[in-house]
Formats: sequence, structure tokens, C-alpha cells
Amino acid sequence: MNANIVNLTTNPCKMCMPMGAVTAFYGIRKCMSILHGSQGCSTYIRRHMATHYNEPVDIASSSLTEEGTVFGGTKNLLKGLANLIKLYEPEVIGVSTTCLAETIGEDVDAIIKSFYAATPGCAVKIINVAAAGYGGTQFEGYFRALHATVSQTQMDATPHNGVNVITGPISPADTRALKALLASTGIASVLLPDLSQNLDGIHAETYKRLPGGGTPLSAVSAMAGAHATLELSPFCPDEYSPGAYLEATYGVPLTRLALPVGLRDTDAFLAALVDLGAVIPQSVGEERGRYLDAMVDSHKYNAAARAAIFGEPDFVHSLTRFACENGIIPVLAAAGTRSPRLADALKDEMAAAAERQFVEEYDIVDGADFERIDAYVEKNRANILIGNSDARRIAEKRHLPLVRRAFPIHDRVGGQRRRMLLYEGSLSLLDEIANAMLAHTEETFRGALFHDLCHDGQKKKNARTKDADGLAGCGERSLSVTTAARGAARKNAARTATHPCFSYGACKTAARIHLPVAYGCNIGCRYCLRKYDCPNESRPGVSSILLSPEEAFGRFKAAREMFSHLMVVGIAGPGDALANFSRTESTLRMIREYDPDITFCLSTNGLMLPVHASRLLELGVSHVTVTINAVDPAIGAKIYRFVNFMGTRHEGETAAAILLANQLSGLKFLTGNGVVCKVNIVLLKGVNDHHIERVVATARSLGASLTNIMRLIPVPGSDFACLPPVSNGELTKIRGICEKHLSQMRHCKHCRADAAGLLDHDESIVFRTGEQKKIPARPPRARLECAEAPKNGAAP
Amino acid sequence: MRKEAQSGETDMQTQILDEREKSILRKEQRCRGGGINCESASVSGAVSQRACVYCGARVVLNPITDAFHIVHGPIGCASYTWDIRGSLTSGSTLFRNAFSTDLQERDIIFGGAEKLAAAIDEVMQTYKPKLIFVYATCIVGVIGDDVDAVCRKAEEQYGNRVIPVKAPGFAGHKAEGYRMACNALLALLKPHAASTRRLGINILGDYNLAGEMWIIKNYMREIGVPVIGSFTGDACCETLLLAPQAFLNVVQCAGSMLYLAQRMEEQFGIPWIKASFFGIEDTTNAIMNIAELSGDKGARARAAAFTGRESSLAARDVERYKAHFAGKKAAIFVGGGFKAISLIRQFTEMGIETVIVGTQTGKADEYEVIAGLVNSDAVILDDANPAELEAFMKEKGADILVGGVKERPLAYKLGMAFCDHNHERKHPLAGYEGVRNFTKEINLSVNSPVWRYMYPAF
Repeated sequence: MNANIVNLTTNPCKMCMPMGAVTAFYGIRKCMSILHGSQGCSTYIRRHMATHYNEPVDIASSSLTEEGTVFGGTKNLLKGLANLIKLYEPEVIGVSTTCLAETIGEDVDAIIKSFYAATPGCAVKIINVAAAGYGGTQFEGYFRALHATVSQTQMDATPHNGVNVITGPISPADTRALKALLASTGIASVLLPDLSQNLDGIHAETYKRLPGGGTPLSAVSAMAGAHATLELSPFCPDEYSPGAYLEATYGVPLTRLALPVGLRDTDAFLAALVDLGAVIPQSVGEERGRYLDAMVDSHKYNAAARAAIFGEPDFVHSLTRFACENGIIPVLAAAGTRSPRLADALKDEMAAAAERQFVEEYDIVDGADFERIDAYVEKNRANILIGNSDARRIAEKRHLPLVRRAFPIHDRVGGQRRRMLLYEGSLSLLDEIANAMLAHTEETFRGALFHDLCHDGQKKKNARTKDADGLAGCGERSLSVTTAARGAARKNAARTATHPCFSYGACKTAARIHLPVAYGCNIGCRYCLRKYDCPNESRPGVSSILLSPEEAFGRFKAAREMFSHLMVVGIAGPGDALANFSRTESTLRMIREYDPDITFCLSTNGLMLPVHASRLLELGVSHVTVTINAVDPAIGAKIYRFVNFMGTRHEGETAAAILLANQLSGLKFLTGNGVVCKVNIVLLKGVNDHHIERVVATARSLGASLTNIMRLIPVPGSDFACLPPVSNGELTKIRGICEKHLSQMRHCKHCRADAAGLLDHDESIVFRTGEQKKIPARPPRARLECAEAPKNGAAP
Repeated sequence: MRKEAQSGETDMQTQILDEREKSILRKEQRCRGGGINCESASVSGAVSQRACVYCGARVVLNPITDAFHIVHGPIGCASYTWDIRGSLTSGSTLFRNAFSTDLQERDIIFGGAEKLAAAIDEVMQTYKPKLIFVYATCIVGVIGDDVDAVCRKAEEQYGNRVIPVKAPGFAGHKAEGYRMACNALLALLKPHAASTRRLGINILGDYNLAGEMWIIKNYMREIGVPVIGSFTGDACCETLLLAPQAFLNVVQCAGSMLYLAQRMEEQFGIPWIKASFFGIEDTTNAIMNIAELSGDKGARARAAAFTGRESSLAARDVERYKAHFAGKKAAIFVGGGFKAISLIRQFTEMGIETVIVGTQTGKADEYEVIAGLVNSDAVILDDANPAELEAFMKEKGADILVGGVKERPLAYKLGMAFCDHNHERKHPLAGYEGVRNFTKEINLSVNSPVWRYMYPAF
């Protein structure tokens, strides 16, 4: 995925309003939620929450049916209320509407009135909140439910010295910490809401279906008489701000503060409490000191972090400020919710953080989905992700650490216990970020320095990855592609150790099998001719049999039984692996299903690489050999009789130019995505012998790992049958010259297209004897057509 | 582990709502020969574990890897179904994305059809997918979007399939969504009716969770019966279109796909069998039945040899655990009845008694089979809710619950072991491989040392 579709939200970084509403209601004591709408809303939200909190999450539904949708859902909601009171005995019920109830225009107020009328003596307080999924996100839904709670509860405005503390969505563990802090300061306070117990319950002897924690309604009622309100949510929409409501209706002064994450915002929160008469215990002072100590201890590690921070606006705001004060460079602050104020709130800090380390690109966005976030992660070259676990796919794809905070966390346990608030929470968050950076350094610094500084290492690096020249002019996008491919490159490079052709060390121990499934060829090389087969002859392009993908799969299974050291499956013809791509593809697919580990390798003339390369990546092909005999169309024209590209036959320099362009772009794409590539060059005396070094240098600049300069095997009847032979000395000399550009393969055995076993010891004959009878008396028509078709001399 | 039978429950009076009584089959009712009320709407306020019509349609179609799955509606439905299932792919990963038209307030007022049409245009121009499914959720019909017309027009314009799945959540329950998905698949297959049959089967109702479709395909490869179409685990558009050539449809998850098998029999003349790959006995039967119906003597011989070998190996592995399972009791709460039946058999193979069986969408005939498989005092529930599961698991002293994600925390809170037989799991439970995983999982949870420490300290 790389294009944003403007009319679709792709991989949302937000949820719907009812999700937020039921979360808030979970923080009210003995409150049970019912969603007025289809059954699925409650089930999906339950699943989403249960996986994060690791708690039973019971949310009722009015289970609207077709009939209810047409004639109104009064009956369903009335029955639902009665049933859930019977089953759960709640003291409070939060009724949230959904897309459906709002669209069909349900009058929930009236339904609740009729419920009370029909149920005399009912002591359950029913609060209702309009929460159409299209009216906002879970962030707005959460505050709407809190606003509904304070505005629909019978309030007691008798003045008292207590303080209201209202929070946005925070974890139960952070809520507990906040509560403990408030309790230790000596001031009376009401925390709204309080998820600390209900969504992080204890294991008790008796299970209570309706948990007993949360803010009691009596405490909510007393909020009207409080001395002050601290609302820890700078981005709560004014119209649904419970604090603003209390201020406007009961004159309770409101102070809006950021979530207390990091030093400044925790200090500010504590200062506000002190202003209200709190006494901060010494232990909190010590926590602050420990946090300061941690900031200092890890500041240099944190300075390496380029963070992408995403989620709800309060979270993004606080975490970005936290990052800035620790020297972490926030290169992306992205809210899933529309929050136009976010940019103003953060732009100065982010500019300063970026400027300090000369980082040019950073962005603040809102209303973002993960597709967009991913694009910014790539563009701004973030190296760490901070937010909910929905970014795990980006983390996986780009091999980036993800520090999980906020909601939801679905791929780890303990989402309910993640901390970030106050000094201690900040400290645990800071340690986690610093440790992610340290883990990366620990894993990579030896190799990185070896490749950067040690002469041997530089050679290897140059052989393996594209050098600075290769990258020049590629722009940021390609740079980031390289970043994304680094993981693949690492894995593929590890496979090289057991690939007999790519690693000399492996050629005595690791077996490979070539599966001759690709019959056709799409170019005409003047050195190639495949008119007959002799089982005792060994050279590229020769095969005793043409296998169907199913037969090839069978042969692979047999070979795996036979050779315990079988490491590589290669497709090397007898034609071109990509000219008959569907056969190659189905062969590899079947084998991959059967054996997820075997290394896939193939050899090609490269003509079809731009078309099929991305599919090769998906199939898990880690090694590719491209035969490039010239990088100058004028020379190529002497080597290739024709090129058959997309149904059109080209000759002369046109043909050579098309082939060359495709070879080069295909090679670059493959190496850019971590595939280990070898370039084979057939040394043709008097044709391209003066040009070999340029081919090798080009291969290097495109990221190839090694080149295999091969002697021509003259085939009687081919155009080049009479080309002068190349001596060992000549070959060694040319390889020596080219060595300075790229590693040279010197152990090539010019293998058959149906070779099997060790490089030194071909055992394909054992398969051939069994299948001899299957060989058609005359080659199949497809082979006749390409009888003189090229074989590029590849040995994968 | 706590196992006291708490029939005299005190802190929560009501365990079972009156309207729910007829959906619960206890010993008394079964003695009287009464059946169970099932295949009906959920009771409001009862906290059903079922999801909605959209969910049913989405789970069936989503594993089609190279299709563009567009959810037309407000954001929630796409958000909660984004890549939540463990369906694996050997090809495209397109299906792991969540695409939504993310309807806003103004779209509700002025209609969302234009936005949908524009989105399809963009998708066609950017990605050129062979197949697009458009899921219309709850409010789309209510606000009057003509999704059929948008899809038809796009098909005409681009020549690619754009299939509407009108799945408003309220139009029934999950099983209705299954049917809608099957109809969408039929719409896809219809132009590709085959004139000739060949030796090859379609697997219906396997979603390649943790690679289970691959396991079944491996078995078929062993016996020499190719799999043509896989519905819909690891499916791609191209292979699905070949499905009408199969000589047999093998239905694994009957709850979701029996309907498709029946329609394919009517429209393409392909016979079908139900076949479960859960448990040794069912897996062996499934492979043997398929081989038998292939009419290929070689296949029959290979199947006999293969199942003989594999089943005795698996049985030997299970045997080793039996002493660990002595006296243990299981509760089952899964989506469909056919899977529940397999699980009961599997527990029997392991020497574990099943004391509670519940399903979200079981059918009457399946409940009859279930009643015949369990002991007379076992409890059978249709569309159970957490309160009922809690009450009966305590009453029956179950040691382990097999269920979905939502039931897991409940089991744990009650001090019970749990086996994840859901769509998010990361290990296969099908086939002989699955038998080993299943046995291992039951053992490691039910015999975990942690249960020993769940007592008050002071």
C-alpha cells in the first residue's frame, strides 16, 4: 500500500463514539451499559475491550431487529433495561445510542421515562448519551458520557473544599496511581471516572458479574459543590466538557491541564493541587528526583530516537511534550481524531527539538489513519513508534520498535497496567524508550562499525548493498525503502551462508535442486542452442525433462527425503524462469506451503523482472541471478539476436536496450528490497571482453552481491560456436580486475537446469532414470519454438 | 481450582432470564423429550455473545486475500474488524487492511453513495483489484444509499467484479450474514459454471486460521485429490473461479457454508459432504470419505495408509496425556454446532467429560446430535450469555472452557482453565497436527500450577 485513497479511511486510528461512552461508564460505580442498536456493536466493543483489559467486559444490547428499525426500538430497549437489571442489579445504567438508533431517530429520553413509569419503585439511575458512530470518535464519546453523567445526575451544590479531577481515557494502573496521589495530599477529591478496579479487577474467591469499583453517583453529585475542577484534558470538546458544564451551571472554577506525563506537566498538575491546598508528600518529591535522575541517565540514548507518536489528541499532545523534554525528536505527532488545535499546541516545541539535531522534516497531523501515519513514518524516517498496538503492522513491516501505550493493546498482555502518568509512570515510559534504542544499538553496532570502518567489512558492504553512488538522486522514498528492506536483507544474507552458489563455503555441504519447469525463453542469445539432451552433458540450458509444477513439487519432496542437506530450490530453465512465470510461480508456491524454510533462488535474463519482481518477493525468493552480458546496447546488439517483450519481437540495438533497461531496473528493485543478487556475465572474446569491468561496476552500483564471469561453452550450431576459447589465465586476470568492484564467484560448475545434489557431485541422474520413459520422443512444441532460444548460462 | 457447586448463589439472584429458559436444555427437559429453541433473535439486555449480520458476512469473505473489502458505513465496523482474525495467506496481504468510507454526519444527511462511488473509482484506478466487496452496514439502507446501483455501475465501467454485501447488523443475527456472504460468493461464481468436472474438491468453511487450510491441502496432496477452490481460507479470486469444476464440495464449518454447498449443488450440480477436521476420528473419517467419493482406487488406498499411520501416531501422543486428564470436565461454547460436535468427540477421545455445550448459532439438528453425545445431566445452551455460562460452569464444576476471546476472561475470573478455539489463535487445531496442539493446550492450562494458588492468604 503506498497511495492514499482520499475517499477511504485505510486502517483507522480511531474507533466509534459508543466505545468511548462505555469506557467512561465503566468508571462509574455499579454502572452497566446498554447500547441501543444492533447486537454487533456491543459484541465488537466487548471483544475490543476484553482483549486489551484482560477482563470480562459485559455490555448489553437492545438487539434491534428489522422490525425495531422500521417501527422503532422502544420495545427492545424497555425489555433490555428490564433484563439487564434482573441479571446485573446495577445502580446506574448508561444507555448509549449507536449509528442505527440515531439515524432512525429514537427518542431515548421518552423511552426511559416510559420505563420508569412502567417500573414503579425502580431505583436505578438511567443516564443516556447520544453516541452516533458517525458523530465523532471514541474520544468524543467518552466525554459525552461524562458530560451526560454530570448533567443528568441530581447534583448537590452545597459548597465544600473538595476538588474535582476529571481525566480523559487513561489506563486503570495510571488511574490507581492518580488516586493514590490524591489520597496522599490531604485534600478531598472526586476522580471522574475511575476505571482502576472495574477494568483491572483482582482475582477474588467469588466472582462479581458487576464489579464494585468506580466513582459513586453520590460523589458525582457532590461535584457541583466542589472548590475547583481540574480537567486533565486540553482537547476535550468544550460542549461536552464536564468541567465546563460544572463551571457554567454551578460556578465551580475550571482549570484545564495537560495529562500529567513528563516533568513539566506533572509539575504543573502538582502545583495546581498545591494551589488548592494540597500538601505533596515527601515520597512524591523522591519520585520526582528519581525521574530527574533517569532523565539524565538516559538522555543520550533518547537523543537517538526519532519518534512517531499517534492516538488520541490528549495522548499525542502529552507524549510529544514528554519526548521534547527528554531530547527525543518527535518527527510525527498524529491524532486519529480531528483536532485542529493540536498543531498550534505543538509546533514550537517540535521545531525546537528538530532544530537541535538538524532534523528537517517533522509533521503534526490530525484525522489521520494508519495508512497516512505509515507514509509519514517513512518520509520522516521515524525509528520508534509510540502509541497503541494497531501500529504493530507498521512496526513489523518497517522493523521498528513499538512502545505500547494507550488503547487498544491487543498483542501483549497487561494493556490495563501500562503506566505513563506522574513521575513514576513517566519513568517507566522513559526507560522503555531508552531501552528500545539501546537494544537496537546493542544488536547492530558491531556489524555497523565493521562494515563502515574495517577494510574487509567495507568490501563486504559494497558487495552487498548499494553504495552512496547508487543512492544518489534516489530521493527520500528510496532511502526509506532501503530502511524497510533492511530486515529482509538481513534474513536473506543469512541464507547466503547455506547457498552453494553464493557461498563457496557451502558448496561442499549444502545441496540444491534445480527444477526444470520453465521451458520457454523470450530472448535469443547467439551462444545458446538447446536442440538435444544428453544425460551426461552438463551445461546451462540442458535438461532431461520438462516438469509440470506438480511434478516438480513431487521431485522436490523426493529430493528432500534423499538429501538431508538440501538447502536451496532453484529454477534455472531450461528456458527463462520468468518467461513462463505461472509455472515458476505455482511451483514455488506449492513448495513454500510445504516447506516454509527452504531457500528459493532463480536465474533469469531479467527481461521480465520489472513485471514479476514484486511477486518474487512475496513468494520469498531470496536469491536471484541475472545474466547481464553488456551494459551498452551497441554491444548487446551483437550478443542478442532478438528480444520478445510483451508480445512484440525487437531486434538490434532496440532489443538490447529494452533488455538492458529491464535488467537494470529489475536488479535495482530486487536489491533494494533485500534480495541477494548475483550477475552472471558470459565472457565472449572479441565481443564483450573489453567491457566486462563496466558490467561489474554497474552491477555493484545497483546493489548486486557478486558477479560470476563465465567461460563460454561453445555449442555447435550456435552463432558463437566458433568464438575463440578463453584461457584460464585470461579468465583469472579479468576476475582479478573486477574483484576491486565486487566479489567474484570462482566455483561455478555450469550446472544443468535439472541439477540436483552438491555442486561438485551432481546426482540428478537418479531422478532421470526413473523418469526416462516420460521424455517425449520429440520435444514438445513449445520447446521446438524456442529451440534456438537462448540459455543465458546462468548458474544460480 | 475452585469447584464448589454454588447452586445456592447469593450475591446475584437471577441467573437465567425467563425468556431464555427455552433456549437451555437441561436433564429434565431432555427426559421429557423437549427440543431447544434456537435459530432465533437474541434477547434484548441478555448480553448475547453473538455479533451481527455484518460480522457474519465479513468473517466468511474477509479471508479472500486479493479482494478489496470496503466497509461502507461509519468507522466503528471497520475499526473493530481490522485484521482481527488469524487467516493466513500465501499470496496477497491486501485483505489485512481495513477500508472504510468512514461516513460522517453530513453523509448521513446527504447520502453516502457518491462517496462510495468515488472511493471505488480511486481503488480501481490505483490498485485495479479483480474483486471488490462492498459491505453496507446498519445505516446505509436507512439513509437510502443505492449500493446495488453503485456497484453495478462500477462493474460496467471497469469490467471487474464489484459485489455488494448488504449486511445491516439488525437484519437477523450472525447466521444471516453467513448467508449473505454465500450469496456474494455465488454471484462471483455464477458466470463461471463449468461444463466438465475433474478430480478435485472444494473446501468450504475453512478460513485458514493458523494455516489449517494448508493442513487440509497437505492431506489431499497425500491422497492425490487436488483442492481446487478454498472457501475462503487463503483464497484468491482466480482460484475461486475454478471452483465449479470440482466433483465434490467438502464443508468443514457447516454453520457458515452449508448454504453455499446447497446452492452450488442446485446451480452447478456439485454434491457435498460435511467433514470435520477436528479430532482424530473426524479427521480420519473426513479424509476417508473424500477418498471414497473420489472413486479413485489409488486415492482410497493412499488415504487408508495415510490415516492409519497418522491416526495411530496422534492417538499414541494423546494417550500419553490421558492420566493428566483423569476426572476433568469440559465446557464448550463455540460459534457453530458442527464444531461443538467435533469438540465433544475430541474430549471423549481424551477421556474428558463434556458437561456444558453452548453455541452461538447452532441448528436444531445439530443440537439433537449434541444431546446424543453428552451425558444425560449435561447442559446444552443456545446463544448463552456470560451469566448463564458462569452459573452452569459453577454448577457443573467444569475445569476448562473452550471458547472465544470474550469468554476467556470470564473463565479465568472463575478460576477455570481455558482453550482458545477462536479466530485469533496462532496455532492450528485442525487435523492430526491440531489434535496434538489441542491436547497440549488443554493439558498446559488445566494442569497449570497457578490454579493451586488461588486461595485467600489471610
